Amino acid sequence: MDKTELLARIQDLDLMIHEVTDPASKGQEEGLGFAVIGLERLKEARRKLEEQVDRRSLSLYERVRSKYGRAVVPFQGKLCLGCFMTVPTSTLSRRKEGDELLLCENCGRILYWL
Amino acid sequence: MSPNRGVVLNRRLIDYFDEAHYIPSLKSTTKDAVLDEMLQPLLRSGRIRDREIIMDMLVRREQLGSTAIGKGVAIPHGRSVAVPEMQVVLGRSEVGVDFDAPDGKPATLCFLIVAPPQDKQNHYLLLLGTIVRLVKDKKSRDRLHKAASFDEIRMLIQEVEPSG
Ligand SMILES: [Zn+2]
Repeated sequence: MDKTELLARIQDLDLMIHEVTDPASKGQEEGLGFAVIGLERLKEARRKLEEQVDRRSLSLYERVRSKYGRAVVPFQGKLCLGCFMTVPTSTLSRRKEGDELLLCENCGRILYWL
Repeated sequence: MSPNRGVVLNRRLIDYFDEAHYIPSLKSTTKDAVLDEMLQPLLRSGRIRDREIIMDMLVRREQLGSTAIGKGVAIPHGRSVAVPEMQVVLGRSEVGVDFDAPDGKPATLCFLIVAPPQDKQNHYLLLLGTIVRLVKDKKSRDRLHKAASFDEIRMLIQEVEPSG
């Protein structure tokens, strides 16, 4: 699992946790008839994922997340789906050089190759 | 269906039901194996690429609480950055799958819904609500369980789709 995949998983978890704790969406799942009983298990899963990410990447994730709500965004057809700007080919080619996070040069979001 | 569905829904919920994403007879009998089996049609049709991330999300959603709503129906669902567009997979099981349902009944009908985090039209919740409403109604549920073909199921969903 590379860093982007780890952060993508953390974000999926954060969204799930947010949906059942945020006042605006809380109760939606229960309202539809689904049981919501394992919030602590999700938080524990997040802690375990966090441990696998280096501190620098994690703090970047948190920083971008607090700015935009979501830190990891897909890019598709060379477009960052966070800001809809084209990601330069030079940025894309850097992806091949190992496990570095790919950031949108325009908005700074972490790019996930969809 | 009214040709004028208003501006909110420019894509009908029924359009998310594709026969290529219908599994008339699920082979798996455990929850995790069924989730995996139900992702396969989406991988085959290229609607999703990263099975692992989506699978992890679905398994975690089950840890939050079972998505079985009883009476033989389960609706595993969730959002992931690895899902480009909302997808629905419908699976049926003759023997039933243990989904930790509140009534203890094995699921014989599974609707899997995966969606991206961003969903401006709120189709995800609309679809989830529509399916829940459909299966909570005894008459519709019986028809769903007895439906002999995908088209029959599709017609039922079309009947309950909110219009406008
Ligand atoms: Zn961007």
